[in-house]
Amino acid sequence: MNTPSVRNLRFSQVIGEAISLEMEADEKVLLLGEDIGRSGGVFGVTRQLQARFGENRVRDTPISEMAFTGMGVGLAMAGYRPVVEIMFVDFIGVCLEQVMNAMSKIPYMSGGNTRVPMVLRTAGGCIGSAAQHSQCLWGLFAHLPGLTVVCPSSPHDYKGLMAASIQSDDPVIFIENKRQLNKLISSHPLDAYVPEERYVVPLGKAKVVREGSDLTLVTISASVGDALVAAATLESEGISVEVIDLRTLVPLDIGTVATSVAKTGRLLVVDEDFLSYGMSGEVITRTIEELGAGALRQVKRHAMPDIPLPASISLEKAAVPSAESIAGVIRSMA
Amino acid sequence: MPANEASLIQLYHTMLDMRHFEESCLEGVPTREIHGELHTGIGQEAVAAGIAPWLRDEDALVSTHRNHLHALAKKVDPYRLMAEIFEKETGLCGGRGGHMHPFDPEKRFSATGIVGSSLPVALGFAYAAKLEGTDAVAVAVIGDGASNTGAFHETLNMAAAWNLPLLVVVEHNGYAISVQFSEVSATPTVAERAPAYRMWARHVDGTDVEAVSEAAAEAFTHVRGGNGPAMLEAKCFRFRGHYEGDHDTYRPRDERKRMVIENDPLTLAEKRLTALGLATEDELAKWREASRARAGDLLSRVRADPLPPAAELHRFSFAGQ
Repeated sequence: MNTPSVRNLRFSQVIGEAISLEMEADEKVLLLGEDIGRSGGVFGVTRQLQARFGENRVRDTPISEMAFTGMGVGLAMAGYRPVVEIMFVDFIGVCLEQVMNAMSKIPYMSGGNTRVPMVLRTAGGCIGSAAQHSQCLWGLFAHLPGLTVVCPSSPHDYKGLMAASIQSDDPVIFIENKRQLNKLISSHPLDAYVPEERYVVPLGKAKVVREGSDLTLVTISASVGDALVAAATLESEGISVEVIDLRTLVPLDIGTVATSVAKTGRLLVVDEDFLSYGMSGEVITRTIEELGAGALRQVKRHAMPDIPLPASISLEKAAVPSAESIAGVIRSMA
Repeated sequence: MPANEASLIQLYHTMLDMRHFEESCLEGVPTREIHGELHTGIGQEAVAAGIAPWLRDEDALVSTHRNHLHALAKKVDPYRLMAEIFEKETGLCGGRGGHMHPFDPEKRFSATGIVGSSLPVALGFAYAAKLEGTDAVAVAVIGDGASNTGAFHETLNMAAAWNLPLLVVVEHNGYAISVQFSEVSATPTVAERAPAYRMWARHVDGTDVEAVSEAAAEAFTHVRGGNGPAMLEAKCFRFRGHYEGDHDTYRPRDERKRMVIENDPLTLAEKRLTALGLATEDELAKWREASRARAGDLLSRVRADPLPPAAELHRFSFAGQ
């Protein structure tokens, strides 16, 4: 059997392909954001889309995030499926009001009579741009009730999860990782084959991306790739690591994590987002609630420390989890 | 629109029902049936009543924390609205929204409890109307306080830049809770900021329901005609505190007294109705009594309704629930 060939695409193009297919399939899908039209987005995700679908459906906005995010909410309430781009997740502060009080809450506050089928696309991840341009913040969104929070890792998932997000009747935060967007999909260690046709990866299903028996490593977004590299290194050292890609923080598929931890007895959560009050604490707590404290022989968190990300590369390397640092943490647990 | 639909008698009846609706709501405060802070628009009826005749079903209206009168203007069912204000299972939102967050998608009515946030959402409805090529209008109601938010600037700029059918109705009651507009605004009115966005605007006496209605007719005609956004600012008076429980110490007692005596839009309309020979004192008394009785019946009905069951706490968190 021939292995399907991996196309010569960047991650950004895969996301654009998903959006484009959804726009073809549903005329209610439209895009709003800064620089998404004429220039095709600062990472090139929406390149060519304005030329194909017109200015009305691919709308360049002024730097008015509060207004165009709320405009997305209004459009969703009016029967559209807006995909709103906040260029960098770090910019969410100026429009968080519409995200945390309108987009996320209206479905529940309305007693289910009003749906907000809106996707807020944004880019997170540490790319050497320091404190105000290198955050992840998915834990922030996951803390706010009502939002589905999607953070893909593989090329295959980037496309399928974007399709699922646009088709979802719930508000979705879709966080792309800046470390990946400009890379070729062939650089990803797994699931780099992306079918050309339209498909969906269901929201809320974690994936065991590598089986192992000594330790369960749970992570999300670009860190999945780093975890796989670390696991491959450690295999030659006789440490067998099971790697789980959560894919979505909300809903959180704790069942897949618990099944794995029941087998390995060791849990490491790796998170490119901040350490405290975030994903790592949540995953560990829910695993304990699921299995009982006795099920874990060892628990460890490896996340961004609670500091604004420094600019200097020497300091950034010391802060952001990498394949090397992940391997180091696992060795310390062995 | 036949002229008589906006006749003074009609407008007065609308205001009367609005006043009694909210007076019925007040009864739920000391009894803790409404257990959050309640914001009423008592004293401001002429604004909502004045835009009511010109609102169509296909128009969207996004209101504020002080939204009951606008919901009634948008023809939201008063029973389901009051039931929501009283946090009942039979309310518009099954008691999840309460008085500050009523949603009625069939009437294209919604609200937000965050000052300034109605504007961007209404902008979305306005964009939808433009995409669909209809002559529907999106109405954002704000208070004078919201005119000092960033959302105000962002929304007005975008609406005008894209020629969207947005009507901003400003209920200018002069106070952002306790802070006087005159002390924190660079301009004496909100409407005079509109030309900076090349928007049509009018400033009217918001205690004169006919004046509001006449200006609203013009505003809706302007926006419906595809001429871009418009602003209608109505200077009005909030008779009660910002919320029920607000001691309202920031307004001198005699100012408050005078405000009610001199600026009650209902009293002013009654004076005009009798002066024009459109109603006698007896008729007015009968109308008042009938309206009060209707609101009382509504209240009795709502009070008998059940609260949402605790077992359904999580229901409606996500689609399909």
